[in-house]
Order: sequence, then structure tokens, then C-alpha cells
Amino acid sequence: MIYYAGLDVGSLLAKAVIMDDDGILAYSVRSIDGNFRQAARQVMVEALDKCGLLSETLNVVGATGLGAAFVNDPAVRNTEISCQARGIHYLLPQVRTLIEIGDQSARVIKLTEKGMVADCVVNDKCAMGSGSVLQTIAKVLGINVTDMGELSLQSANPVRFSAGCSVFAETEAISRIAENARIEDIVAGLHQAMAFKIGSIAQKIKIESDVAVTGGGACNPGLVKMLEKTIGNKLFLPREPMFSGAIGAVLMALEKVRMEKLCCSN
Amino acid sequence: MFFAGLDVGSTMTKIVIRKDSGDYLSIIKPTGAEHRRFVDKVMTEALYKAKLSFEQIDYIVATGYGRVNVPFADTQLSEITCHMKGVNWLYPSVRTIIDIGGQDSKGIKVKNGKTNSFVMNDKCAAGTGRFLEVMAELLGMKLEEIGEMALRSGNPVAISKMCTVFARQEVLLRLSDGAALEDILAGLHQALAARIFSMVSKIGIEREVVLTGGGAKNAGLVKFLEERLGFSVQKPDEPLLTGALGASLAAQEIAQKAVADGAMPKQKNHTLTPASFFEEMPSVN
Repeated sequence: MIYYAGLDVGSLLAKAVIMDDDGILAYSVRSIDGNFRQAARQVMVEALDKCGLLSETLNVVGATGLGAAFVNDPAVRNTEISCQARGIHYLLPQVRTLIEIGDQSARVIKLTEKGMVADCVVNDKCAMGSGSVLQTIAKVLGINVTDMGELSLQSANPVRFSAGCSVFAETEAISRIAENARIEDIVAGLHQAMAFKIGSIAQKIKIESDVAVTGGGACNPGLVKMLEKTIGNKLFLPREPMFSGAIGAVLMALEKVRMEKLCCSN
Repeated sequence: MFFAGLDVGSTMTKIVIRKDSGDYLSIIKPTGAEHRRFVDKVMTEALYKAKLSFEQIDYIVATGYGRVNVPFADTQLSEITCHMKGVNWLYPSVRTIIDIGGQDSKGIKVKNGKTNSFVMNDKCAAGTGRFLEVMAELLGMKLEEIGEMALRSGNPVAISKMCTVFARQEVLLRLSDGAALEDILAGLHQALAARIFSMVSKIGIEREVVLTGGGAKNAGLVKFLEERLGFSVQKPDEPLLTGALGASLAAQEIAQKAVADGAMPKQKNHTLTPASFFEEMPSVN
């Protein structure tokens, strides 16, 4: 049997996926906790454990993400954008536009029918729209990041965030708490501000349906709802929105290895 | 006659009480989240220090981002006007003011004692004191010590990201690479100086340049900003006070003009209400 692994080492989470020719065998995710190298190693061990494999049995390892350089094992590295595109094409082949919301990234990627990158816009200047602000505000409000989505859905009157800066959003949230604003309204307002920013990024590309969302942001139903409202498209979610990058890393690594074999045998 | 200027900033509340003879005294306290109630308390402390009663103050001008929350102020004026007045009084030769606050930064062009033009950034944390605050917190250091430490670097690490959130991530990566703390700090101060320089350049920088706000207290930032400018800058002994000082000068101008016109300055009928919120503050009674 031939086994493949993909690693997506982000700024907040390390994701690993183990695949064979029939599909996904196991996946695992863990927090970086300030050590990219260790997190990358650990998450791979965990994923391998889940399907009862040893790292020696892996034939191909693909890596991507901000911390891909910290992956010790020999791996084929590719950019996050191309891996996200390949990954979402594998999970949802009808998708033509992908919105990826990571801890640091908010990207809109347009795909060809074959899952190649046709165009993309990224938030390279300003972090607003990416997920990191959710972490900050969750801390200020004393709630769990994972509860924010459900909580915000109860809001009828989202608070307006005016600065449009992830850092100043924290100050604004503190001021709103002092003014006794409801927590769900603050969170919903934050989702709205993020959706607005992502929407303005997406405007630079002509959005084609189907549109999908991946990354940690896709796990937040409140943010996804606001995003649907802002963009005006139905948004599709893959079953594993956190693993599209890692899956793409496997697929891209495979392509490269097969291409090399083809060239050598000729 | 006595006049008061209050500058309610995002981080600090500053009060200057002055006599028409020109003598003044000042007080600086952290603003906190509830400045509406807190400003009364700071005012009470300032009056205690000045050995004056509230009724003895003839005119009060409030400025700063929390100026609308000073119920006892007779007039509210913009920070730009007050900063300009305060700095121009201290340095009559000033042409450009660079103010680096906790939550915003501004450049003010001064001509003949008046504001000629200005630029301001309060929409993005990059280029403000908040940038360094985030970094100090990340590195587990005090805001007051990072500037000095940055000066010890011989080889600043280039920080390429403007955005505070991205730069924070970049610092984590550089730490993982094993870069020295002082080199990272120097790189961060350089990046901040570059950002401020490019913003103020929009109004054209002319000498003398006076640096105010909390940023002026950071020796590293001052050095890297001077490197960028290519000449040295002036900074007041207490760079946080210029806004409140300018507000007190404006209060004096308004009141004296009213007196010269034969009318006593119109005063609001407000009094100080005792604060019950910040009881941990030292009592002044």
C-alpha cells in the first residue's frame, strides 16, 4: 500500500492528513503554542497513530503554510494558495471561488474547472478579516472562540465597529463592554466588520459560484452567515474546512513526484 | 484668573491648571475604561494640588478623544488645535509637530502660530503607540524598557509587515529563527519610525520638528525617527502635556477675549460630582 501525508503548519494550528489512493485515512490538528517545529512533528505523529501507521511507511509528504519551513522531514513544499485550491477541488469539485479565513489570512481564490488557481486576492497589508481578531475579542469577552458563532446568531442588533483595524477592534470592544452592550451584539458586530472587509477583498475578483469557505473561519456559523449576507452568495462548507490546505499539500506533492517519475522513466 | 485644560486621551488623562501670569501645574493619570466618572476624580486631584476650589477656575477647555465626556468643560476643542497651541507656546520656532499617541498619530504643520495642514491616523494601529504596546506584551516586557533595549542592537532585524497583527507574527517567526531580542526590537522601532515618517511626509516636513505624545518618551523611537529625518528633533520635558497645555492656553484666550469685550466668559453651571467608581485611587479629601 502507498501512503501520503500532508502538513499545513499555520500561524495558530498545525494540521496533518494521511491519505492513500482511496481517500482520507486520518487527520489531526493541534495548537502551535509558539513552537512550529514541535507542533508539526506532534500533529503528524497523532494523525499516523489514528490510522495505525508509522512515519517510515509514508511515501510522499507534502507541506504548506506559514511554518512549512519548520517541517523537519523531507517534504515537498507548496504555497498555501495553490494547496487550498487543490484541496477544495478535491473536497467540492464544483467550487469556482474559495474564501479562506485563517488566523492571519483572508484570501479569495478563483479556481478553474480543474482546480488550478485562476486568480486570487490576499489580505497582505491589513489583518482585519482574518481570524486572529476573534481570538483577541474572545479573550476580552471571557468566552471561547468556538462559542462565538452560535452566540452571535442570537444577536438582533450588531454593534458597529468603526476603525476597521484588528488591534483597535479590541479597544472598541472594551469601550462597548463599559457601555453595557450585550456580548452577542459585540460578537455579531465583529463578524459583520470582518465580513465587510472580506467582502471588499472579494470585490476585486468577480465571484463565480459555487463559493466555498475554508479555514478556521468556516467553523464559525455566525461569521459564515454575515459573509453570506455581505457577498450575496450561498456559501458551501466542506466537511473538513480546516484540512483543505493539508489535503492540497498531499495532492500537489503527488503531482510533483509523479511528474518526476514520468520524466525519469522516459 | 485661573484656567484649566483637560486632555482626555485613550490611555492617559492630562490636566493643566494655569494662572493668567503664566504659571501652571499639571497632573497625568491613566484614563481607564470609564473616563466619564474618572475625569471628575482627576480634576479634583488637580484642584487639590493647585489649592484651588472648582469655582475659582474661570474657564475650562477639554480636548482629546474623550473630550465629549467632560461634563464640566465650557468648550471642547480638537486635539489638533490644542496640541498646536501647546507646542507653539513651548517652541515658537516649531514648523512640524509629530504626535505619537497610544491610539493615534498625527502630523501638524504650523505656520504663524496657526495650523496650516495636518495628517492623522486613527484607523490603523500601525504607526501608533499601540504597535509597540502589542509588541512589548508579546515579548513580556514593559513598554518603558523596550526603547532603551532597541538602542543596544547592532544589527536590526528587518520587519517587513506594516500591519501590527502581521508584524507580531513576523516577530514570532524571527524568535523561532533565533534572532536576538534587541535586534528584533530595533527592527520594530525602525518599522514604526518608517511608518510615521511616511505619514507625516504627506504634509511636508520642515524644521523645527517637535515630537510629542507617549512616543516621544521612547528613546529608541526618537533615535530611529531622527535617522529617518536626517536631523534631530525637539521634545518637551513632558511630551504628554502639550494637548492639555494648549487647551489651558485656549481657555485663557477665550476668557480674556470675553473680558476685553466687556462680558464675563459664559460658564456652564456644572459642578464636580464625587466619583464612586475608582475607589482604589488615593483619596484627596
